[in-house]
Amino acid sequence: MALLQEIKVPLLSVNDTSLTIIDTPFTSGEKVDTGQVIVVFETSKTSYEVTAETPGYIQYLCSNGDDYEVNEVVVKIFSDSKDIDLSVETPVKKIKKLAPINTKEWSGETQFSSGAKKLLEENELSSDLFKGYDFVSKEDVMAIMVSSPKTKKNKLANSVSQMPKQTRLDIIDYKISSGKKIEIDYLSDVQQAGLTSTVHIYVDTAFIFGHLNNALKALKNSILPLVIYESSRLLKKYPLLNAFYNSDSISVYKDINPGFAIDIGKGLKVLNVKNAGELSIQHIEEKILDLSGKYLDDKLELEHLTDITFTITDLSAEGTFLFKPLVNFMNSSILGISSIDTKLNRCVLSMTFDHRITEGKLVAGFLQELKIRLESYRSDNQSLMNQDVMCFKCRKKLKDDLADVGFSKCITPKGDEAYICQSCFKGY
Amino acid sequence: MTNNPIHHRHIKTALTIRLVEEKFLQLFSEGKLNGTVHTCVGQEFSALAFAGQLKKKDFVFSNHRCHGHYIAFTDDVRGLLAELLGKETGTCGGIGSSQHLCNNNFFSNGIQGGIVPVAAGYALGNKLKKNGAIGLVYIGDGTLGEGALYETMNIISKWEIPLLIVCENNFYAQSTAQQVNLAGDIESRAAAFGINTYKGYTSSPEELLSKAEEVISYVRDECKPAFFLVETYRLNPHSKGDDDRDPAEIEKFRNNDYLEIFQKTNPVYYNQYQTEITNEIDVLLSDIFNDSDLALDKYYSPKVPVENADWMALDPIGKRQVELLNTFFKDKMVADELTVFIGEDILSPYGGAFKVAKDLSFIAPERTFSTPISESAIMGISNGLALNGFKPFAEIMFGDFITLAFDQIVNHASKFYHMFNKKVSCPVVVRTPMGGRRGYGPTHSQTLDKFLIGIDNVKTVALNTFFDPAVLYHSISSEIHPVIVIENKIDYGKKILNHQSPNYYYERTDDLYPVVRVRPILSKPTLTIVSYGGMADLINTILNDIFVETDLKPELIIPSLISEMPVHLIADSLEESGKLLFVEEGSASGGIGAELAAQVAEYTDFKYVFRRIAALPVPVPSVKSLENLVIPDKNRIIQEIKYYFT
Ligand SMILES: Cc1ncc(C[n+]2csc(CCOP(=O)(O)OP(=O)(O)O)c2C)c(N)n1
Repeated sequence: MALLQEIKVPLLSVNDTSLTIIDTPFTSGEKVDTGQVIVVFETSKTSYEVTAETPGYIQYLCSNGDDYEVNEVVVKIFSDSKDIDLSVETPVKKIKKLAPINTKEWSGETQFSSGAKKLLEENELSSDLFKGYDFVSKEDVMAIMVSSPKTKKNKLANSVSQMPKQTRLDIIDYKISSGKKIEIDYLSDVQQAGLTSTVHIYVDTAFIFGHLNNALKALKNSILPLVIYESSRLLKKYPLLNAFYNSDSISVYKDINPGFAIDIGKGLKVLNVKNAGELSIQHIEEKILDLSGKYLDDKLELEHLTDITFTITDLSAEGTFLFKPLVNFMNSSILGISSIDTKLNRCVLSMTFDHRITEGKLVAGFLQELKIRLESYRSDNQSLMNQDVMCFKCRKKLKDDLADVGFSKCITPKGDEAYICQSCFKGY
Repeated sequence: MTNNPIHHRHIKTALTIRLVEEKFLQLFSEGKLNGTVHTCVGQEFSALAFAGQLKKKDFVFSNHRCHGHYIAFTDDVRGLLAELLGKETGTCGGIGSSQHLCNNNFFSNGIQGGIVPVAAGYALGNKLKKNGAIGLVYIGDGTLGEGALYETMNIISKWEIPLLIVCENNFYAQSTAQQVNLAGDIESRAAAFGINTYKGYTSSPEELLSKAEEVISYVRDECKPAFFLVETYRLNPHSKGDDDRDPAEIEKFRNNDYLEIFQKTNPVYYNQYQTEITNEIDVLLSDIFNDSDLALDKYYSPKVPVENADWMALDPIGKRQVELLNTFFKDKMVADELTVFIGEDILSPYGGAFKVAKDLSFIAPERTFSTPISESAIMGISNGLALNGFKPFAEIMFGDFITLAFDQIVNHASKFYHMFNKKVSCPVVVRTPMGGRRGYGPTHSQTLDKFLIGIDNVKTVALNTFFDPAVLYHSISSEIHPVIVIENKIDYGKKILNHQSPNYYYERTDDLYPVVRVRPILSKPTLTIVSYGGMADLINTILNDIFVETDLKPELIIPSLISEMPVHLIADSLEESGKLLFVEEGSASGGIGAELAAQVAEYTDFKYVFRRIAALPVPVPSVKSLENLVIPDKNRIIQEIKYYFT
């Protein structure tokens, strides 16, 4: 006399807010056994089977061929057949079907928009990829490019969604989200060859923000704008790091379009700071802010996500000491920024690269030069930095000290090193 | 003036009319009567002589000054009293009041002149039914200024329609004396149309009664129209107060008034009748005061919208739209004896400017009426036929000309059903070809549809080239209320569903007024386009260009009942696409797209972008290059979609 299992429509991908039921192998009231497939959903890409976790009596709250919204209960399993009220056949609200025709059997000639055609040509994609489509717009092409980096080379090898599934009772399976699947496909492209390597270097960051913070509006104490600025200029000297492995050749990008990785609640995305090599630091900062805003507002467009030639990933806000970034699809290298160690005044830059294209020596040279460039921002004029020295008691800044006497170095009652102004020192 | 005694029955009726109207004035001054009254005190014998001497099967159309006519014809004093007091038991439930009465073949309306063609249509109906009934329409002398009257006099004479026009000449129109506005002579106006004319005086009732009887017989026996000029005088103001006439003049006529003289010469009878009638009125009134007002839900209750049920696939028909229309009407004329086809130049072999009426006059000559150039009369006569149980299909040769019939649509066809408290309905149909792209220029190309939606109780239907127009005309044929049908000059020559854009699914609802949907076979639409009629035909042919050039996957929704847009279907599509475009062939301001935008906004709770593409706000030029710019063409539509939505 109990409800043993309840099956809700699962959220399998962000785009599928409703799923079609394509198989209900039993009829309500029938007995089912553990492990038997009791309902099959169809997503926009694959089908998804749900098995009984327990023996019992099944009740369907759905009908075959109809669409149901995510989280609706569509099947129940009871311990006793008497629990099933067969009069409530399909109480779940069905989603209105717009199409009276079977959309699966379409085999007509696909229509391409001129934007889509252009994109196909630019990316040397074959229109055959879109067999079974009625219309292909720019967005459709882009979606294919993002979801399957293999399309570029027309090999549709073991992408995650196609791996065989096993049923094991000692583990709990969580479905991988479609966003994550895309990410995996994206990163597998370079990494699966197994020929990547990472070089690390540290950058002395003492007083590095002295001038920099004056130039930045919002991203104060962030090294990202500077890294984008300097690395894009330096990449002109290192074309192999602004390239990608293309079957038997190496394709070098003419433009330098660094992308920065972002993942704040809306999935991992790499956003294009187009032509950063031609932009000022201020422009780069504006770009970062603008793109992040668009990311948060879901306003990103194709151009913000494509044509990225080199990637920078900034984990400096996460307290990282060191990490190994993974090279993105259609890139040859990626630069990672770890957190600034405020005690040692330094931070680690790590660059992972595709060994099929270049080798450690070149990357080390790149990093060495980048380090020198970045460190050149350190304020060699100590006095300028000292302007920011602050009295720990009254929080007055040295530059605001009208007494023109200067501050004293001191030890605070807590035992920290600090500065104190003359007024506080004398106890006025 | 002769003053021969007349039957006391007439005196009592005349006195009843007078006492009822005086009661109205009293009630009005006591604040018990809403609105207005126009009394016919002094003119009562005109009512008796004509309305009073008709048969029950005959009919009367009257104007604002109709109480006397009403009582003389129907004898329904209680209904009239209750009507003016705004009671449910009134002759029209209190909706019509003084100027809008309807009871047993009696109709009145407050639009001067407008009732004349309606009366002609009603009389034509009687002639077609061969029932021996005739009709009467009262007008005042001021109404001799209305054009509809002359359109009608021409037609009733030419077609020998048994209608008697009684012109009550009281020498004033509202505040204006006749010599200010009237040129020439009254009787010779009717005579000029070859209509027999007569004259009489209310001050000589006996003679008036007998002349009236004679004219009534002439109209009935000869089945011909007649015009009767009654010289009379109203002793009261036009309506309630304000009378700028010379009191001496009024006094002179009062002394000459038959009832006044009767009172002086036969005080005993007069007083006896007066007391009797007054008592009768008072008894009725004390009863009526207890009656209740009509409840709103008996007058109006909102329609529950019907959700469209099933979709069906559309198939091409290898026939031109005009052939299918012509076939429908030929079949309809044969199958239904109450069908009448009326319009200009519709006789065969010509068969109408666009050939929709081809051969109809051969098939059913008695019910195919080719009219003079008289749009107001065409529409009014059709209204009258419809009131008399016929199904008239009026053709207005070019859409632009429908403005000349507008009063008949708005103040007559649209209002009859409600203002007569649902006692009658007016199932008239008016069809007209709209639209440009044929170089006909400013007065033969404009799309005026926006003026034709939003008329209460009138459906506005637009044909399209996606399915057989007979489907729509079958539905229209069974309507009991007026329908305006917008046809399209260009579409006439097109074959049904001749063009199908690749990869679209063509379907329609199986409603009475089907909605067509053209949607991508697999893809989710990214642009919802709503359009209708000729413009929908154009959009259909450029669907693929729209996609190729704008990257948007359009879904096209084509309503046929444009006065009641399928908002729920549009919203369904819009929810997927987020973008809504309305394309109309008329200009945008105050247009159909504006109405649609309001309705969709009221219906939906999600965000979307809405845009209109419409004609430029100028008359349609004849020169082709400019015509193609003023009316949205392919290039402009694609450009604007790009501009607005991408
Ligand atoms: C089309 C139209 N225009 C104007 C009026 C306003 N109006 C009502 S009665 C009237 C005077 C009518 O004069 P006449 O036809 O001589 O009739 P009478 O009032 O003298 O009986 C006018 C101008 C109207 N009701 N309808």
